[in-house]
Amino acid sequence: MTILAGIGFTSPWLLLALLGLPLLWLLLRAVPPAPIRRAFPAVTLLLGLKDDESVSDRTPWWLLLLRMLIVALVILGLAGPVLNPVDRAQGDGPLLIVMDASWAGADGWDGTVDRLSADIADAGRAGRTVAVLRLGAPQEIEFLSANAWRSRVPGLVPQPWQPSQTQIERSVALIDGIEGGFDTLWISDGLDYDGRQQLVDAVMSRGDLRVVQAGRPVIGLMPARFVDGQIVLSARRAETSIPQTATVLAIGTDPGGVLRTLASVDLAFEAGETESSTELVLPTELRARIVRFELQNRSGAGAVALTDDNLRRREVALIAGRENREGLQLLSPHHYLRQALVPTADLLNGTIADMVPANPDVIVLADIARMSPANTEMLTEWVEEGGLLLRFAGPRLAASEVSREEEDPLMPVRLRSGGRSVGGAMSWGEPKTLAPFRDNSPFFGLTLPTDVTVTSQVVAQPDPSLADRVIAELSDGTPLVTRKEIGQGQVVLFHVTANAEWSSLPLSGLFVDMLERLAISTSAHVPNAEDLTGTTWTPVQVLDGFGSLRDAGTLPGVEGPDLATLPLGPDLQPGLYESEDRRLARNVLSQDSVVTAASWPLNVPVEGAQQSNERPIGGGLLSLALVLLMLDILASLMLSGRLTMARVAIAVALLLPGVPSEAQEPDPALTATSELVLAHVLTGNKTLDDTAYAGLMGLSDTLYFRTSVEPANPVGVDLERDELAFFPLLYWPITPDQPTPSDEAYDRLNAYLRAGGMIVFDTRDANIAGFGTSSPNGRKLQALAGPLDIPPLEPLPADHVLTRTFYLLQDFPGRHARGQVWVEAAPPDAEQIEGMPFRNLNDGVTPILIGGNDWAAAWAVDSTGRALLPVGRGYSGERQRELAYRFGVNLVMHVLTGNYKSDQVHVPALLDRLGQ
Amino acid sequence: MISAPAPLRPRAEAEASQLPPLLARAERLAGSVLLGEHGRRRSGLGDDFWQYRPAQPGDSRRLIDHRRSARGDMQFVREREWQIAQSVMLWVDQGGSMRFSSGNDTPEKIDRARLLALSIAILLIRGGERVGLTGTILPPRRGNGQILRLAENFGLDLEADYAPPEHRAMIPHARALFISDFLGNFDEIELALTKAADRGVRGVLYQVLDPSEESFPFRGRTVFESVGKTLHHETLQAQGLKDRYLERLAERRDRIQQLCRLTGWRFGVHHTGDSAQSALLWLYQAMEGATR
Repeated sequence: MTILAGIGFTSPWLLLALLGLPLLWLLLRAVPPAPIRRAFPAVTLLLGLKDDESVSDRTPWWLLLLRMLIVALVILGLAGPVLNPVDRAQGDGPLLIVMDASWAGADGWDGTVDRLSADIADAGRAGRTVAVLRLGAPQEIEFLSANAWRSRVPGLVPQPWQPSQTQIERSVALIDGIEGGFDTLWISDGLDYDGRQQLVDAVMSRGDLRVVQAGRPVIGLMPARFVDGQIVLSARRAETSIPQTATVLAIGTDPGGVLRTLASVDLAFEAGETESSTELVLPTELRARIVRFELQNRSGAGAVALTDDNLRRREVALIAGRENREGLQLLSPHHYLRQALVPTADLLNGTIADMVPANPDVIVLADIARMSPANTEMLTEWVEEGGLLLRFAGPRLAASEVSREEEDPLMPVRLRSGGRSVGGAMSWGEPKTLAPFRDNSPFFGLTLPTDVTVTSQVVAQPDPSLADRVIAELSDGTPLVTRKEIGQGQVVLFHVTANAEWSSLPLSGLFVDMLERLAISTSAHVPNAEDLTGTTWTPVQVLDGFGSLRDAGTLPGVEGPDLATLPLGPDLQPGLYESEDRRLARNVLSQDSVVTAASWPLNVPVEGAQQSNERPIGGGLLSLALVLLMLDILASLMLSGRLTMARVAIAVALLLPGVPSEAQEPDPALTATSELVLAHVLTGNKTLDDTAYAGLMGLSDTLYFRTSVEPANPVGVDLERDELAFFPLLYWPITPDQPTPSDEAYDRLNAYLRAGGMIVFDTRDANIAGFGTSSPNGRKLQALAGPLDIPPLEPLPADHVLTRTFYLLQDFPGRHARGQVWVEAAPPDAEQIEGMPFRNLNDGVTPILIGGNDWAAAWAVDSTGRALLPVGRGYSGERQRELAYRFGVNLVMHVLTGNYKSDQVHVPALLDRLGQ
Repeated sequence: MISAPAPLRPRAEAEASQLPPLLARAERLAGSVLLGEHGRRRSGLGDDFWQYRPAQPGDSRRLIDHRRSARGDMQFVREREWQIAQSVMLWVDQGGSMRFSSGNDTPEKIDRARLLALSIAILLIRGGERVGLTGTILPPRRGNGQILRLAENFGLDLEADYAPPEHRAMIPHARALFISDFLGNFDEIELALTKAADRGVRGVLYQVLDPSEESFPFRGRTVFESVGKTLHHETLQAQGLKDRYLERLAERRDRIQQLCRLTGWRFGVHHTGDSAQSALLWLYQAMEGATR
């Protein structure tokens, strides 16, 4: 390379071409611009005319200058100019490049690779052969041309371990096997390890040694420990002189399963200290989600600490059916469970669909009978993978058909219909007590309190397998707790309720003990080396050198003791290992690892990894020449009159990027929540949907005029896409051709029903079939409502609160009159009280109302408020429409106020009792 | 020979498709001109009443108007106005020099020339004149069929760059309208005009020019070519030619005007950048004058 004025040229002889520039000037000057050919009929008048000036039209001087500049730039660019050229000390003979290539070098690996490429390129220019030896994965040393190695450089990646003793021995043997002398370039990660000195001696005995050491001081993150409810995080570093701060990120999955940073904490190193530790307090929910800790802005397997079972606490998900008695805490099916579990476990609340993805250890279903097929499938899968499903009986389970004819997959036994009551006012027997636990029961050894009695229970069908599944029974031998194994998990059924309605078991200390035996006794503990003897651990995910997890693929399993003791290497890679349901993390650093900076002999030159900023500028010059060439084209066009302003404008317009405009649509959720909105289910049948919309519009208007309920315009909801929680009422007209909602939609519908929503099914067929299967709409209704969590229904009784929430009604006509209307059945204990107009029926709102009177058609109005469809004939028809509106008003009032009217009727009695 | 019919049909179709638009445009343009009186203002053969005059000896009995004569003792003859149809001969330069337009928004000169010629033909035929082409192709006739034949003949392009005016078979004392750019050989124009004047034919010379031919807005090194590329002239400084070109153009125009004065013709200039309607009005008025 020749250096001229601080700029190096790789082919300086090309600069001689610059001498030709003056010649070019003369040449370009002599040639006039190319003529334009124009059609011009009046050329006859031009014939014979001579040009005024004797000299031809010349290229203007500035255009000439531009062209000269272009040529000069091209010549300069091709001459290969290099800014800040560096002349490296050249050696000769083969060059051996030794690389630590461990996790410590992953930080700044790009720089290392660049440096390696530059060195190999230099060696190539000097005609030297090159070999690369990676200490973490030593292979046969072969001296090849630099070009052969250059293509392999991008494929070099750091290994997630430090060179082990065996690898160093092999490396030394390989180095000793080389014939002849060679120079060595050692690309070091800056960390010391055992046996390094041995290698240094080996290479220094054969030739010169240069060392390139990565600039960034190494920090390693220790595995996290869980001490006294806190996560203890510590890190060690090699560099000790300056104070330093490192941020540790806790990475885990969010409920959607996406990896996110869940928490972060700073680790501060004081000057002169190599270790720093801190505590991190996290909610248990978050803690259980943590997959790994890592140092922010640092790559490398040593900056990652994987977590395993030892950070986890038992997670118990409590799931109830519809909680229709909000406020009655002591009656809540979860109250006693909660009290019993809070000290020892993390409790989760939610729906099945929300809970299963969170993968709790235990799911408790209190009196849930029907589940959607999707939920059943999810739960079954979860149980088969080792979950414990704990179920409690209750009125719903007793009343349902679940596990009646054949055993439900998620029930341990078949149940007899209705259950039994003992010791009540209407039965002969005394309340039953518990029998002592058998020795094969997990409860064996628990003491039985004498005051635990059972008054109601669901009864197991005698089956051949029943005896094996009973783990607790009553004094008369009826099973009280049954258990069934499914896959790796199990299902346990308490034949009584989880609250104190059916038995006093939840009130006793025995209940807590039983729960501990079932759910809590398997709490995780940290296995030590002896524990692992005889086990085989399969790698699930392994760390690469950069610290990112990847699938372990077909890596072989590891013996338990080896996992605990062997150093990391190709056969034992850091990562997550799994054995049955346990998971163990093998991290790069262990609690007793030391991070020390490497030290080199004094006569070895040590360079930083930074490359000199040698920059070839030929490309830039050529690009500039190209740009000037474009300018020259424009100038030439302009000179010859071919460039008009219109063409320039067109070109500019084409070049200008179009400005995208986005119209903002109002969020439907916002409109649905800022005001009361009635909703109907979109069936896909245009006529039906329009009628339903018009009907709800008419009802909304009526409500607006007559009551203090002032709804906004109704909306149609798409069950597959829209959130239902905003709507107090869903009107669902039935048509045989509407699509059946997906499993997710049913999940949402069930959640909607449980959260106090109400669905009004309208078969629109005047109930001619009595909701049987003899009408297409009836069949469709059965198919649609099948997966829904619908309580027992009854025809609307005459004293239902729906008959008097606003108007006093006994008839609920729509376009059809006198069709039967079904609502949630009254609880069996509802009694007619003397002097009361109606029984204290459902405490809450009926979640389902089924009728066939085609109410929407009777309510439907057009945009001007006139009735859209005829109802009946003459005056009686108008009366019928009026009654339909009244029913609608009552319906909305019922949804919005619940049992308010029902309570109001007690006011006279209350006042009477108060002596008013 | 096999291939001959194949291109003939599409060409015929293309030509035919061109005819109606030209015709329609010409009809529309002609519709904008209101026809005035066209009588001879003297008694003669015609349909319109002119005057009653006392019958004189020699008048045929059949000429006596009995309704008028019955009012008195004298016998009257009803005279009609003399209405005679003129023959008007058109010549539109269909040479290559006319197929030129300097920009996208100006029509070709030949397009404007044909439009004007056909429009004036429509007006004249409505006025009862006989209209035809100079030469032997289409002698003057009357009636709407002639309009179609004229339109058909206006669709023919000539190969030659500069077509000389057709001056053969001119009917004596007829009227004529020559539309061209008159950029070709001046001798030919002179010959045609003197020959016409010899036969007592009078009429209008109408020069249609492109705006660029009037303003000469060219710069830089340019090779000017005729449309058929038979003539070309190269210049290094087009802007330097402008003044002398305009001079020559004015001189050419002067000579034509002089010739017109000598022969009793009228001379008009039209630029394709201007509206066709004003040109038609001028032409119609000029033709009225020429036919009077």
